[in-house]
Amino acid sequence: MSRYRYSHGQRLLAAVLAFGLAILAPASLDAAKPEGQLTYAVHVTLAPTWFDPAETAGIITPFMVMYALHDALVKPMPEKLLSPSLAESWSVSEDGMVYEFVLRPGTKFHNGEPVTAEDVKFSFERYRGASAGLMKERVASVETPDARHVRFLMKAPWPDFLTFYATASGAGWIVPKAYVEKVGEDKYKKAPIGAGPYKFVSFAPGVELVFEANEQYWRKVPSVKRLVFKVIPDEATRLAALKRGEVDIAYSIRGELGEELMRTPGLTLKPVVLQASSWLYFPDQWDTKSPWHDQRVRNAASLAVNRPGMNEAITLGHSLITGSIIPDSFEFFWQPPAPVHDPARAKKLLAEAGFPNGFDGGDFYCDASNTPFCEAILDGLRSAGIRVTLRPIERAAFSKGYSDKKFKNLIYGASGAFGNAATRLEAFVVKDGAYAYGSYPDIDALQSRQAAELNQTQRVALLHKMQQIVHERTIYAPIWQLGFLNGVGPRVGQSGFGLISRFPYTAPYEDVTLKAK
Amino acid sequence: MKSYIARRLGYSMISILLLSVTIFMFVRLTGDPTTLLVEPGASQSEIEAIREQLGLDRPIWVQYATFMANLSMGDFGQSFYYRMPVSELYLSRLPNSLLLAACAMIFSLVIGIPSGVLAAVRVGRFWDKAGKVFALLGLSMPAFWVGLVMILFFSVFLEWLPSSGSGTVLHIIMPAFALGWYFAAAHMRLTRSSMLEVLGSEYVKLARLKGLPEAIVIAKHALKNAVIPVLTLAGINLVVMVNVAVVVETVFAWPGIGRLLYEGIAFRDFPVVQGVVILGGGMIVFVNLLIDILYAVIDPRIRLER
Amino acid sequence: MVMRTESAAVPTRFAFIRFADFPVIPALILAGIGFVAVFANQLAPYDPEIGSLQLRFKPPAWQEGGSMAFLLGTDHVGRDVLSRLIFGARVSVIVGFTAVMVAGVMGTTLGIVSGYLGGWVDMVIMRLTDAWLALPALTFAIFLAAIVGPSELNIIIILGAVYWTRYARVIRGEVLSLKEREFVRLAIVAGCSKGTIMRRHILPNVINSAIVLGTLMLGVVVVTEASLSFLGVGVPPPKPAWGLMLADGKKGMMVGYWWLTVLPGCCIMLMVLSANLLGDWLRDKLDPQLRQL
Repeated sequence: MSRYRYSHGQRLLAAVLAFGLAILAPASLDAAKPEGQLTYAVHVTLAPTWFDPAETAGIITPFMVMYALHDALVKPMPEKLLSPSLAESWSVSEDGMVYEFVLRPGTKFHNGEPVTAEDVKFSFERYRGASAGLMKERVASVETPDARHVRFLMKAPWPDFLTFYATASGAGWIVPKAYVEKVGEDKYKKAPIGAGPYKFVSFAPGVELVFEANEQYWRKVPSVKRLVFKVIPDEATRLAALKRGEVDIAYSIRGELGEELMRTPGLTLKPVVLQASSWLYFPDQWDTKSPWHDQRVRNAASLAVNRPGMNEAITLGHSLITGSIIPDSFEFFWQPPAPVHDPARAKKLLAEAGFPNGFDGGDFYCDASNTPFCEAILDGLRSAGIRVTLRPIERAAFSKGYSDKKFKNLIYGASGAFGNAATRLEAFVVKDGAYAYGSYPDIDALQSRQAAELNQTQRVALLHKMQQIVHERTIYAPIWQLGFLNGVGPRVGQSGFGLISRFPYTAPYEDVTLKAK
Repeated sequence: MKSYIARRLGYSMISILLLSVTIFMFVRLTGDPTTLLVEPGASQSEIEAIREQLGLDRPIWVQYATFMANLSMGDFGQSFYYRMPVSELYLSRLPNSLLLAACAMIFSLVIGIPSGVLAAVRVGRFWDKAGKVFALLGLSMPAFWVGLVMILFFSVFLEWLPSSGSGTVLHIIMPAFALGWYFAAAHMRLTRSSMLEVLGSEYVKLARLKGLPEAIVIAKHALKNAVIPVLTLAGINLVVMVNVAVVVETVFAWPGIGRLLYEGIAFRDFPVVQGVVILGGGMIVFVNLLIDILYAVIDPRIRLER
Repeated sequence: MVMRTESAAVPTRFAFIRFADFPVIPALILAGIGFVAVFANQLAPYDPEIGSLQLRFKPPAWQEGGSMAFLLGTDHVGRDVLSRLIFGARVSVIVGFTAVMVAGVMGTTLGIVSGYLGGWVDMVIMRLTDAWLALPALTFAIFLAAIVGPSELNIIIILGAVYWTRYARVIRGEVLSLKEREFVRLAIVAGCSKGTIMRRHILPNVINSAIVLGTLMLGVVVVTEASLSFLGVGVPPPKPAWGLMLADGKKGMMVGYWWLTVLPGCCIMLMVLSANLLGDWLRDKLDPQLRQL
């Protein structure tokens, strides 16, 4: 009797197993159990504010942590920029006033609680990061008809809503309402809980952060058991640690260190182009007495800069030389012709402008961390006869000076802010823009027209026109979208670099693997 | 004696107070932390909101009064960047710093005292010069350079030691040496001169007259006395080391107070900078006070001075 | 300072110096650095601030791939290292000496005033000195650099502002004992004003200590300048300062571009070591009281 039962049980088990395998096939093939440890050497100081999506400033760095700890309704993923994650689908009403998301069934926070519509609403309303003002201005309310449906109601049609909600801010990243309310804001940053592929284990401020795989993660079970992020501020030390195998992935290894990395057997260089552009700006171009007022001088400056040389020397050819101050991945981006390096023509233009022997261009301001680039730019300018003196200013003072419009002559600026071509132009080109030292009436007029334009094709045309004028007038001399160079050690299988377009760090973390022993 | 101690204590309090005002003003002169907390293009209202949240919108004397009031209750405020109490951050880093300073001190004394003794015993001869040059070398090379050369040699080339971080005994060797060598020169100089002084004294001459071997005279009679001022200086330097290790900590990614302070400045994290500087300064002032009192106990004439 | 003994009275004239054990080599090195600094324009083969990216990381002439055109190789922007070292001597000498002078003049003046006048003036200056000393020098320098922004002049002012306290402490101690001496009392009886006494009678007697301190501080200042460059707040590029070259070149060290760090590092080391050896010797001769420095 017992035997019969046993075999019956066996058959049942086999059936269940077969069924289970059928559903779980991809996951169980990848790795049934996460194993091993992956150690990162991080170039920036990790901050607890990065554990909390609500605090996301409009910069990319916090996403290094957020892709592990948290998940969003919709987020940039390898497949596409707007990939359904905690939401399995969404729809927009015809008048563009209502966005409705349907949550994926069965998703859970690290403490086992399900992700519900309430959490989405709570996370959105709690969000106080960089785009909070914009969100409050445009979104009328959030409705939760049931646990799996969320509706965002706009005050007026806002075609950019998804761009901001899902890609350019932390507003779409979901935190557990019940837990946050229970432990309070401060405690939440100490023991954060999210719905991401990795769980928080420990954090020593400014020193080390440890995560552990969340085996319940909906997309797939992460392959690596533990992720350890070590802060190593010095670039040479990071490379030394990578060479010794103390870390498996080292962020930001530039120039000659990158060359050394490529020469080292077992190590691989993983370049990523950033969604951040850099440029030379001529704040004096509106001053009729300044040499920079003459467009020929600005053109000469642009021609004098040896962009390919800089690219080879500092980023080993992995930067993207660009003629635009707007990242190529932004919506409404207009592709200008690539800039040229032609010192002879630069000299000729200067002579035509009345400076056959060059001129003293005064101070050249830059953020101290960009000094290596500026030294190379300076070299080009000087060889064409534009004699400027470099003034590297420590970051905090630089951003303040730039936005207070204190600088003159020449500025090396850069921005990694999120947004699209319109927001970038608004801040850097149009009248009263935070970083615009002056403006041109025709561009200002186009700006007000595009902001009111509801027809998408018309709007694109207007924005393209504006970018074209910026280019033709040499308001800026764009340099490049910086290549971000990283090192990967021999133990790593899939590093995750470059999987998500224009994302500088390794993500999605659940795709990161170690090589089998 | 009591009045002397009271007076010295009063002086120390004034120094700390001056330090607190200085540092409070200085950090605020270095710029506005809000520009670092928002991204280019943030609206004015957003900036205002952050300023209000951090308490930077109030008049500066109100800020100072609040700061001092909290300080008197042992509260150094919340870090702008880490959003946690400064005292907690400080205490989490302090053991690392003390450990590094203690090990560096051992290196520094191991180099400094023998080379100082050698130099004193062989004045003007080869060992005097060699000892001097070796101790002074540490002072003559920037610590970051010594550190990087060591990483290159011991970590990358020989693969003996871990390049950076903390945790094991092996981790501490290089940063402690780089830091200790810098201080070795001061200890060498003081050992040498105080050895010279003691060697010229009556009782050493007496010991020699008794026919004791030179080695015993030096080790037992001279060094024992000469080493006292060296150890006093070492005490002060131990505290100084905790506070000046910025460069070494950066090279070796050593999680100590120095880096906390340096990053505090970079992020314009006012509470962290204020807290670290005042605590560090307090330590130095306190050690100086202790030494003054100690000397006053030894030498009563000092009590009447000043 | 408290352990002063009578036997070690302060000699006031250079005539007492025996030149028997004069550190010849350090003195020659310092003189050489001074010479190079003065004649940098004549000695340097290239403009130290202009290079060419195509010529970057050329090794020194005797190494494979090197050329006689660049005797000591080129740096990360393709600038001639030899020319930069030569002009770097000028920057280091100017920054080093001027900063020491600024600190010396400030510290000595305050030390004399504080020690001689005593009372509340002394009180204020000394408490300020204590507070200043309680702030780690490098931290303080980073601060000032963040406030005023880096430039050669600012670095000099910063280093001066940071290091004056050491002079003030030592000089004050000297003055305290000097003012009890016969010649000062006589001057008071003779009706000299306080200013005159400080200038004519006290100053010449503390100048030795100030000089000794200065030679010792020179090393500290030069190394601090390099450390500031390492932390990114030193003399701004492309100025050829040794500290800056060292900080810039440190990345190349791991790659085998040793000349970028070893050469400026040796220059700094030679200068500082020489200054210290000379300072040690001067102190032994002029002023054995300063042994704790």
